[in-house]
Amino acid sequence: MTAPERIAIAALWLVAALVFAVLYGPALAVVLSSFFDLKGQSIDWSSFSLHWYAGLTDNPEMLAALGHTLLVAAAAVLMALVLALGLAWYMKTGTRRGRPFVEFVIFLPFVLPGIITGISLLVAFRELGIERSLVTVTIGHTVLVLAIIYRMVTVRLDSLEASQIEASLDLGATGLQTFLFVVLPQLRSAIVTGALLAFTLSFDETLVTFFLVGGDATLPIRLWAMMRVGFTPEVNALVSLVLLATMSLAVLGALSLKDSMAARR
Amino acid sequence: MADALPAPGRHDPLRATSPAARTLGRWLPRLAVYGLPAVLILAPLVAFLTTSFWSMADGQVEHAFTLGNYVAFLAQPSYIRVFLGTLQLAGIVAAVGLVFGYIIAYLIWRLEGRIRYFMLLFSVIPLAMNYIVKIYAMRGILGYNGFLNWALVTTGILDAPSKLFLFNQTAVMITMAVIYLPYAILPIFLSLERIPPSLAAASADLGARPGQTFLTVVLPLSLPGSIVGGLFVMVLALGDFLTPQMVGGNQGFTFGRAIWSQFGMAFNWPFGAALAVVLLLAVVAIIGAAALISRHARVK
Repeated sequence: MTAPERIAIAALWLVAALVFAVLYGPALAVVLSSFFDLKGQSIDWSSFSLHWYAGLTDNPEMLAALGHTLLVAAAAVLMALVLALGLAWYMKTGTRRGRPFVEFVIFLPFVLPGIITGISLLVAFRELGIERSLVTVTIGHTVLVLAIIYRMVTVRLDSLEASQIEASLDLGATGLQTFLFVVLPQLRSAIVTGALLAFTLSFDETLVTFFLVGGDATLPIRLWAMMRVGFTPEVNALVSLVLLATMSLAVLGALSLKDSMAARR
Repeated sequence: MADALPAPGRHDPLRATSPAARTLGRWLPRLAVYGLPAVLILAPLVAFLTTSFWSMADGQVEHAFTLGNYVAFLAQPSYIRVFLGTLQLAGIVAAVGLVFGYIIAYLIWRLEGRIRYFMLLFSVIPLAMNYIVKIYAMRGILGYNGFLNWALVTTGILDAPSKLFLFNQTAVMITMAVIYLPYAILPIFLSLERIPPSLAAASADLGARPGQTFLTVVLPLSLPGSIVGGLFVMVLALGDFLTPQMVGGNQGFTFGRAIWSQFGMAFNWPFGAALAVVLLLAVVAIIGAAALISRHARVK
């Protein structure tokens, strides 16, 4: 590499460092203010305390919202998992002419902006006379994360040796037995990865949820409502914990994605 | 599907069941496989499209076909201005994502070993940070007493704090750029990954300097995929209604907000649905362009 090129790369790294500072800055600001008092722009380093974390238990509304979010995410991931596995297994066994169409439909909510998916479901629920609640939110999230899990599962399923399944069927196993005892164990890493990514997505989902939520708010909706008056330091504490949790989930998901890709090779 | 597997239970004379049960066994899965996506995804979309052709009368939805909502949209220059303004805003956010996303993806692509994977992970982790929290933090950073003004005044770039960074289009643009930039990095990185290493090696063997190789080999080959990444960001920015609401103030009105307000305060769902159909058309056009670009790139 010549000197000018080396300088160019160094300059680009400087730009990248600035961009990373901007990307991580917002989260850092929240985490710091959960531990320290802010005096103008400077942080009072002597004011470190876990006081706001201890105060979390006094905020039942926030904790309820957190509980709702966890419940919705768990239910949505479970439902999407069952749907995705059923769909993927059906598409794998036999020539299914409808496969491209069904896949197109499944991927729609993932590709379209959340506002479109949200309005569609809202209008449909209204026409059916279904009141908005955590159930409607869960259905929305299920539809949204279905594509991720389906994709993870089919990619793995397509790489399985057809002979394994043929052997199982030839030896007298039913389709269900073959699925449960031959195929499912091999899908484990794909399922874990898909579920982790889907859970992370559902946990943070805001734009679709906005249209479907009833009286029981999920955490992002609750945070949005509180944001208008400004966050209290204990909200910063909760948000810091949430950031830690979602980021660990995302890292776990990424690591298992790497593993499941390595396993396929 | 040439490698399709045999249907389970086909060679199965031992487990003979009644014809009725067998018919049910064949149709039930089929019904679920085609029925559930149709009910959960297609039917709501159809309901939404249909609603855009209905109208409001006395606070009730009138179930009668009309083009009135679309006529109302086209007849009001203010809505069209907001629509075009939002397209422009999303375009700028996409361009920012493309440029800075490319720089980061390119630098990571050049790395080797563990640090490469680590940096890639590091660049997508901001995606998992809570969206509302990011908007909230950005509002604090951009405000009159915020970090940006403090930094600009301290470094002497500004004499006094400016109010120009919050509650206007600029604030919406900056915040969206920060939130949606990480979405561009991964697609751009993948388009760089698809370049066969032999091409860069051949370019070097033929005497090109690294800078020349980048400009004549790497950049042209990765540009289509990168533009697709940028268009992906544009779709996200186009549909966002909470960022403009939280940092845009009165001046940062976007089309997403206009749609949202019809489902909230204005409470005119049919008109809101019609506006959302307009947004949907723009999104379909963008996705179509992205599909064309990636197909074109693959043929080469």
